[in-house]
Amino acid sequence: MIFEERQVEKNNFSSRAIFLFSVIGISFLAVLLQVFALQVSSYSNYELAALNNKNYSVPIQSLRGEILDRKGQAIVRNDPTFDLITYPDLINNPKSFLELIRPVIYLSEIDEANYVKKFQEKAFVNKELVLKKNLTVEEIARFNVRSFALQNAFIAKRYRRISDYPKIFSHVLGYTSRSDNQYDLSMDIPRSHWVDAELIYANGLIQGKTGVEETYDKHLSGKHGKRIYETNARGRLVKAIGYYPPKKGLDLNTNLDIQAQMSAAEALGNRKGAVVAIDLQSGGINVLYSAPSYSINKLSNGMSVKEFQTLIADSNKPFFNRASQGRYPPASTIKPAIGMFGLTNKLITWNDEVDDPGFFTLPENGRIFRGWKEGGHRNVDLKKAILVSSNTYFFKLAYQSDMEDLALYLSSFGFGGKVCGDCFDEDGVFLPTPEWKFSNLSIPWFTGDTVNIGVGQGYLVATPLQLANYISIIANKGKGMMPSIVKAEQSISKIDNPRDIPFPNPDWRKMHDALTGVIESDYGTARSIKNLKNFQVAGKSGTAELVSLDSKEAYLEIRDTELLRDHSIIVAFGPMPYPRYAVSVVIENGESGGAVAGPVAIEVLKSLLNE
Amino acid sequence: MNKKFTKIYYDPYLFFSIFLLCVFGLFCLYSASNADASIAVKQSIYVFLGFIIMIVTSQADPDLFRRTALFFIISAVLLLGITFLFGPEINGAQRWVRMGSFSFQSSELLKLALPIFLANFLFDKKLPIQPKETIIALIIIILSFFLVARQPDLGTGLIVALSGLFVLFLSGLSWSFIGGAFALLIISSPLIWNSLLKPFQQQRIATLFNPESDPFGAGWNITQSKIAIGSGGIFGKGFGEGSQTQLNFLPETKTDFIFSVIGEEFGFIGVLLLMSIYFFILMRCLYLALSARDRFCRLVIGGITLTFASNLIINLSMVVGLLPVVGMPLPFISRGGSSLISLFFAFGIITSMGTHKKFLPQ
Repeated sequence: MIFEERQVEKNNFSSRAIFLFSVIGISFLAVLLQVFALQVSSYSNYELAALNNKNYSVPIQSLRGEILDRKGQAIVRNDPTFDLITYPDLINNPKSFLELIRPVIYLSEIDEANYVKKFQEKAFVNKELVLKKNLTVEEIARFNVRSFALQNAFIAKRYRRISDYPKIFSHVLGYTSRSDNQYDLSMDIPRSHWVDAELIYANGLIQGKTGVEETYDKHLSGKHGKRIYETNARGRLVKAIGYYPPKKGLDLNTNLDIQAQMSAAEALGNRKGAVVAIDLQSGGINVLYSAPSYSINKLSNGMSVKEFQTLIADSNKPFFNRASQGRYPPASTIKPAIGMFGLTNKLITWNDEVDDPGFFTLPENGRIFRGWKEGGHRNVDLKKAILVSSNTYFFKLAYQSDMEDLALYLSSFGFGGKVCGDCFDEDGVFLPTPEWKFSNLSIPWFTGDTVNIGVGQGYLVATPLQLANYISIIANKGKGMMPSIVKAEQSISKIDNPRDIPFPNPDWRKMHDALTGVIESDYGTARSIKNLKNFQVAGKSGTAELVSLDSKEAYLEIRDTELLRDHSIIVAFGPMPYPRYAVSVVIENGESGGAVAGPVAIEVLKSLLNE
Repeated sequence: MNKKFTKIYYDPYLFFSIFLLCVFGLFCLYSASNADASIAVKQSIYVFLGFIIMIVTSQADPDLFRRTALFFIISAVLLLGITFLFGPEINGAQRWVRMGSFSFQSSELLKLALPIFLANFLFDKKLPIQPKETIIALIIIILSFFLVARQPDLGTGLIVALSGLFVLFLSGLSWSFIGGAFALLIISSPLIWNSLLKPFQQQRIATLFNPESDPFGAGWNITQSKIAIGSGGIFGKGFGEGSQTQLNFLPETKTDFIFSVIGEEFGFIGVLLLMSIYFFILMRCLYLALSARDRFCRLVIGGITLTFASNLIINLSMVVGLLPVVGMPLPFISRGGSSLISLFFAFGIITSMGTHKKFLPQ
């Protein structure tokens, strides 16, 4: 049967076919528009997504900067060690590999167990895996002989942070150790990639924990580099496609002086105490030493738990930084400042004389404040009062003073506040004022309290760093400065110069004269150290009483307990008449200031002056 | 008589555009298989075979297909039955029938048999098609759909159903019926969603609208495909240089997602070129349908071409993220012998219908 197609049927087909093909055409257009949207409009998004898919960046650890002394000698440096490193992807069975390596390298059972555990976690990504750190020369030699048979392992350099003076700079420089976060999100590398970081320190990513290492961590740590690998969908590394070398951290130029710091440590010996020395021209801290100490090398590179516990439990508190955190009564070393306060406020003149019977009686209630010398010094003016360290003179002067005014004056010498621009965790202590006493002890201020301040006792305490800063200001004739461990060009200390202390120049000359007399004259309390050097030194010694006692006999009784003995203190500067360095020394329970702390100060000054 | 035997029926436009597609496809396949030449070589054998099948098929007179239409559809249904009884289960579905070393996706045949059968059934009916014929045609279509869909292969089932519906529509289905059917479809869509779609099929539709909700599960394919295409940009990353393809971030690169490979390595220019070829083929087929010798040929060409087009559009829309993921290869490009052979067979039928002219009385 032949069906005769009529025109109407043909037209019907044509219109319907064209309709359906138009629908197809529109669909084509929709697809094309979508492709255009993907490939042209959102191209950059998808390009990035594709790169993120395939690119796997692995961080490369940067080398930490060294810490140098003021002459450019390294105090802390990076010490290379040699480690045995394996390629897990070339090892099929870690246990049989260990069998193979055992005759070559000594491995403890813990070493082996750790390795197998890490191997199982990381073998998937073909990355390096450290088997043993710090190989001996013999092990390296044995390995090198057999290296042809051990293609899946190699020996490479890894660093440790080392100081050649491990126990001398501990408190000022501090230590480094494994960083809390084993990643650095400031870099454009996902956190999960940090486990694969190419490390150059044997103990992984490290950061400064205390001291300069902590304060200047940013300067020292440098910038990590990265290597970019191409990975496939299963995460296997295909090839390296990019390398950005790490930038080594900046070497830090400090004001510290290795020789002077060593002489401070030597002179202190195994006594507890602190020494701080400041360069009068730059304000640079040349010595900042606290004893007893600990080894930063051990702390930075792994110390046994037992050893650490022993240090923590030590009643001498080796971790305590006495130089910047120890609070000591300044004792007689405060007298020059009290004298200056009297002169400035016209309470006294250089010529006014006071009768010193050996004690001061408080008019209000007859309380006796004793001097250190039985019978006293009789007629004393200000110069003699400083030379012989007359307590009565300064008790009387303090008695005439307004405590608020005096505290304010003392604050201009840096007391009661932080003085160092870049010290780690410095203690600013406090200033004793009536307000302070009431809010802390809930007791009102008595006149007797002010009298005690006159001889640097009572509620007045200061750190050795504050004492050094104070004597620097006096040595510099009132010029304020901000002490800094790191040299000015790298220092983070904010240079808002502390205000200078207004004091007439003739008075300064007389004050320096008096302070020189303390050591160089025949009456000076510290004359015992006069002949230890061949340049002139000015200073003021002090004996800080830990127990308030009325008589010498009573002191002789408590003296049996070493920890209750007086602290010996000296602040000094030299060479006179043009001083270059100021130093403060505190020796705990050292007793007589001039004779005990004095020689330490002289040793440090001699070392700084290369004598 | 003599003259008639020497004439070879073929359409040069279709022939060369399909040839171009296949050559392009072989290159893409080579790149998609990470430069493993064996896959492309094997595919090129199918291409060669396919061209022979297309030319041989083209020589048959359209009347042959008309007369054998019933036999054709019965064989196709039988083949599906054999698959159901003996076919191996691959990925939870029985779609393949094995003949020696050659396996064949049995539903491919029904995709051709159904439109030819319906064209034969409807070409001589008066316009508009009567309800009785419409119902019969619909029953056949629905039965065919369920035969394939229960394998389960929803995608091909829909294509099979479409192939029948196209013929029904082209042969003059009344508009009122179409309107009614659409209304019914919309009303019953919640029922279809809940009772007919399996959970994994629902999941695919859900991820289409929010692929980021499950980037490593069902959304992975769509996400990676969009990244591949998008990162190709205007000019592409270059042959064999697509990181998504070569590093295996892109799934199914040799089959369903080969368009993403083209998008990534040849960019928007490559996509434009490929789609132009497809578009040219479709336009040529439309021309052949309009100028075919009779109504039966028109219906068959129209039905098969539109089925081919739907197949193509579904694959493209899926790969670019406009439709949910359904297993649907890119015609003439994706790896796979049986789909390629049946495509060539289909275009052989189109060529036959389009080039055999009515015997004119001399």
